Amino acid sequence: MAPAPEAELVVRPLDGGWGWVVVLGAFISIGFSYALPKAITVFFHEIQEEFTISYSDIAWISSIMLAAMYAGGPVSSLLVTTYGSRPVVILGGVMCWVSMVTASFGNSIIHLYICIGVIGGFGLSFNLNASLTIISKYFLAKRPLANGIAMAGSPVFLCLLAPLNQYLLSNFGWRGSFLILGAMLLNCCVAGSLMRPVTPPRNPSKAVSQKKLEEQTDVYGTSLKRNCMKNFRKFLDFSLFKDRGFVIYLIGSLMFFFGAYAPIVFLTAYAVKQGIEEYSAAYLLSIMGFVDMFARPGTGLLANTKWIRPRVQYFLSFAMVFTGSCHLMCSLGTGYVFLVVYTVLFGIGFGMMFGLIFECLMDLMGSQRFPSAVGLVTIIECCPMLLGPPAAGKGALVDITGDYKYLFIMCGSVILTGGVFLFVMNMYNYHMLDKERLKEHPPPEATVEQTAPEAIDETATQAEQMKTCKDDPRPESFETP
Amino acid sequence: MECTWTGNQNKLPNITGYWKKDGNEIDSRLTVPLENEQYNLKGVFDIVGEESLGNYSCVFGSEAKIEFVLAAPQMGEVRDKPIVSYAGDSVVIACKMEEPKPKPSTWHWYKANGTDKALIDAAAEPHRYQIHSEGGKSTLTVRNLTQADAGFYYCGAVYLISTSLGRLEVRVITFLEPLKPFIAIVVEVLVLVAVILLYERKSKKKSITGSQKTKKEKRENSGGEESSSVRQRKV
Repeated sequence: MAPAPEAELVVRPLDGGWGWVVVLGAFISIGFSYALPKAITVFFHEIQEEFTISYSDIAWISSIMLAAMYAGGPVSSLLVTTYGSRPVVILGGVMCWVSMVTASFGNSIIHLYICIGVIGGFGLSFNLNASLTIISKYFLAKRPLANGIAMAGSPVFLCLLAPLNQYLLSNFGWRGSFLILGAMLLNCCVAGSLMRPVTPPRNPSKAVSQKKLEEQTDVYGTSLKRNCMKNFRKFLDFSLFKDRGFVIYLIGSLMFFFGAYAPIVFLTAYAVKQGIEEYSAAYLLSIMGFVDMFARPGTGLLANTKWIRPRVQYFLSFAMVFTGSCHLMCSLGTGYVFLVVYTVLFGIGFGMMFGLIFECLMDLMGSQRFPSAVGLVTIIECCPMLLGPPAAGKGALVDITGDYKYLFIMCGSVILTGGVFLFVMNMYNYHMLDKERLKEHPPPEATVEQTAPEAIDETATQAEQMKTCKDDPRPESFETP
Repeated sequence: MECTWTGNQNKLPNITGYWKKDGNEIDSRLTVPLENEQYNLKGVFDIVGEESLGNYSCVFGSEAKIEFVLAAPQMGEVRDKPIVSYAGDSVVIACKMEEPKPKPSTWHWYKANGTDKALIDAAAEPHRYQIHSEGGKSTLTVRNLTQADAGFYYCGAVYLISTSLGRLEVRVITFLEPLKPFIAIVVEVLVLVAVILLYERKSKKKSITGSQKTKKEKRENSGGEESSSVRQRKV
């Protein structure tokens, strides 16, 4: 396979070495991003009393923060493709710091909505997007494992932040706690500084072609002198919708996010309604978080094996089917032991999904298109994520039927359907991809025998090249062993 | 109050029953007949004031005792953790009597003064205290907090028969307290970022000088070999 001449300048992912330090940085960054909206709920009761508002008013802070985190996707994609991951994560850390510090001086709920919700949410979205992108730049062969470890940051930080916040609250009140939390968020800047940008090797003889490379980057990433239409297209790259794999993934993940958070939100209430005391019911969520912590890197490890890696999309659909069946099973039984078993299985399913969800997008898009893809995906995922819990819980089901059982049935069936959909469509997609690959690269006369891991590399790199070759005239290429 | 007992194996036709309050017998002993397989003992008591409250028990012979507790509605969950607020700021503390329990006729707030409780008169100091009571809920707002305002506060739900108290603790701290860990963490972050970036710059310089050195060595080596071969040829 003759690579295009400019492609020689793109560096092959490290798959180790400094890459693991980058994973640590991403672990911290992603950890704060997902854990913070949930962890600050500890302060809500006290703020609610001081501002004399209702609980639903204050719960909006978390929703706005989560929404901003996902809606900020396209903006952060643009920044990441222009400036690289490191400055964006540092900017995100500083924004979060500013948001919490200004919030600690707030005197009205609107002030908190804007500071924590909007500014904080955008800061976190910068963190999230840039961290995922840099992993895709540093890893290829070990990428599922790197993704799994980095995403494990979320449950770990949630576990750490929850008791820490309680301690801060009882010692400093909510204002002092926000001040200190803001300083802790500044550690995202430390995580960002670890994310060394991946630069092509400096070679004076290739200075001319380097310029060509930069011009090409300019055309596809940074040009702001073009007209508005093209600018908007850089913002939200709608050409991604032409990609069959992307659309399949998007539909599947939309269905997942619709049903993903409602069971978590209502699990405690469901347990209490069955007669379990409140403390044990709250403990269920801790069990889930604990299992999640190990499920994510475990999934990454599994997804990295030679049996699963080439067909990792099937693994994602399996995870979805598993999670969906879990919820359906929950509606069948009662009792504390049963709920504990359900929670453990749910934790495994949830961890599998989140360990894989961004890995599969990277697998489909390749590291060149991933930043814009993830921005588009997160802003679209915003809707089902915000609509899911209220639709399932208050609006549609619980109020009408009065029984939480139907909530689990609904979420379970939506997720299960999504999983089956993904499975079937991916069978079709892989079939089409194989066909296209055979068309463009007919098998050679003499087949070279390669050892198993290199074979994965081969299929993975070939698949990547296939995807990028189709749309991007400047494909990624890796020195074939 | 009425007690009903289904009796034991003996099922005597008559049994003595009497009432006790706080462990002391009140009224005279009565003979309770067995009706429909059970013994019924009824007692009517006038509640006149706080003295009427306490632990009542009805006793059947020497075999069965049923206890009643007569008291004013108690407040459910009152915060046991202190409310932390800042000097110069204001704090809002609240007490609530939950739904099914009857609402008090009024609320009073007290500040603990050693072992004593001093009634807070919001009307006398409106710029400092503000009490807002509404049915089953009452809030006390204390403005311009100072260290002297720290301590225990009592909210009293006033009923005709007695007052139920709830206790809350207020702690007042200065802004310096959270500022110290804040500055410490910011310093730590700046130091770490500086260290990481400096380390990166150093390792980059090393790799550049290293590659330059190897290039030089290569040139020298090849030059040396040539000269030696030339010398050899000369010889």
